Amino acid sequence: MKFMGYVRPDGRVGTRNHVGVIATVGCVNEIVLSICHQIKGTVPVTHTQGCLTVTSDLEMVQRTLINLSKNPNLAAVLLVSLGCESVFPSEIRDEIARSKKPVELINVHQLGGSIKTIAYGCELAEQMVLDASEIQRREFDASNLVVGCKCGSSDATSGLSSNLVVGEAADTLVREGGTFLFGEVCDIMGSEQILAWRAADRETGQKIIDAVNSLIDMAEAIGADVVGCQLTEGNKKGGLTTVAEKAIGATAKAGSTKPQGFVNYGDVPSGKGLWVIPTPGRGFENLTGLAAAGAVVHLFTTGLGALEGHPIMPVIKITGNINTWNKLNTHMDFNVSSIIDGTETVEEAGERLFDKILKVASGKLTKAEILRYDESMNILTYGPVI
Amino acid sequence: MGKAVLVNQKDNVVTAVSDAEKGEDIIYRVGSETRQIKAIEAIPYGHKVALAKIAKGSDIIKYGEIIGRAKSDIELGAWVHTHNTDETYTPSR
Repeated sequence: MKFMGYVRPDGRVGTRNHVGVIATVGCVNEIVLSICHQIKGTVPVTHTQGCLTVTSDLEMVQRTLINLSKNPNLAAVLLVSLGCESVFPSEIRDEIARSKKPVELINVHQLGGSIKTIAYGCELAEQMVLDASEIQRREFDASNLVVGCKCGSSDATSGLSSNLVVGEAADTLVREGGTFLFGEVCDIMGSEQILAWRAADRETGQKIIDAVNSLIDMAEAIGADVVGCQLTEGNKKGGLTTVAEKAIGATAKAGSTKPQGFVNYGDVPSGKGLWVIPTPGRGFENLTGLAAAGAVVHLFTTGLGALEGHPIMPVIKITGNINTWNKLNTHMDFNVSSIIDGTETVEEAGERLFDKILKVASGKLTKAEILRYDESMNILTYGPVI
Repeated sequence: MGKAVLVNQKDNVVTAVSDAEKGEDIIYRVGSETRQIKAIEAIPYGHKVALAKIAKGSDIIKYGEIIGRAKSDIELGAWVHTHNTDETYTPSR
């Protein structure tokens, strides 16, 4: 199975050919957005991080910024720095340059404020877009694809249809030699033993268990019971009976293959197959974590209608709820209500979804991209804001 | 006629995808075949119905996995939810 993608100097293959304008710190978000609203072909990477958090979090943010920049959906990167942030913009630039991706770094303090930085940034971005526009799509094997997943605004149809269909497509991608990324530690909670037991090696299994336990510990440290509140009153009203039922229904997105490895948030898997990354469930940080890990397409299941996309990845919205498909059709990309109707099997819908993934990977737009519903994002931190 | 979805052939529950009244037949698909079960009580949309008699202490299976344990005997066609199901998950710490 093939798709048409863009190969980057490091050999990785992207599905989009954007120029990324990336804030090294949240204080320059306005400048990044101004440049992107002016220059066609750019995407903004904004967030609230880069300063005044604990060192381990700053390291995670820096690592995430580097690996987001290296995502093959970006042809080139313009880094915008304030000049006094706690991450190290020149280290970020040098790491990106090592992958041979074109990169420039501009500094607001040096340039003399936002107006001058926007003007100079626009000049640099214009040239980057011009250069990127010469890169042509070429045919690649599906084994080059890295695909992420998430569920949000779930309802009773999610665990019965869309999550299972994503799992089916995940199995197909892994069988084709590609890479599938699963995050959502909160969703694993309740099924972590099943996922860990299935892992390719003991170390990976233990890391999956540890990730869940670490979330429980972090919540306990501030007096919260994350297991106890996992099954909400809304969940129970909707028909979910146990934490295990909720978790297994959500983890179904990972499919049935063995987790091959586990990498921390901001890192990139070192191999193919199914990988687990400890992202939170919340979209802002989840999508960013998977994009940093190299996802070039993202599968987002939703029962009630989650809207968010991501600046770097096309996000395919999948629903099994026919009312959501009809009412929020301007946001939904893929309908699997046929499984609820009994007119299509999970296997058939999975095949249809895999075909959709190849089409989107080859350039077909998603609704979130067309609507420009793809700017909000953030980077995960664990510790206090200082 | 109500509708339900069977996720895995090992499951002993199906999930209703329409509200079912007490005494109503609920149809669900197993591969290419259609089967039905009579709801012995009202089953709300999104909730589970027992496909077999599930004895107290037995596993409730959905997705081919254990999602809970019966805390009382559950009759064929009965509503399976928090009132008759215990949580089996405990963190492995």
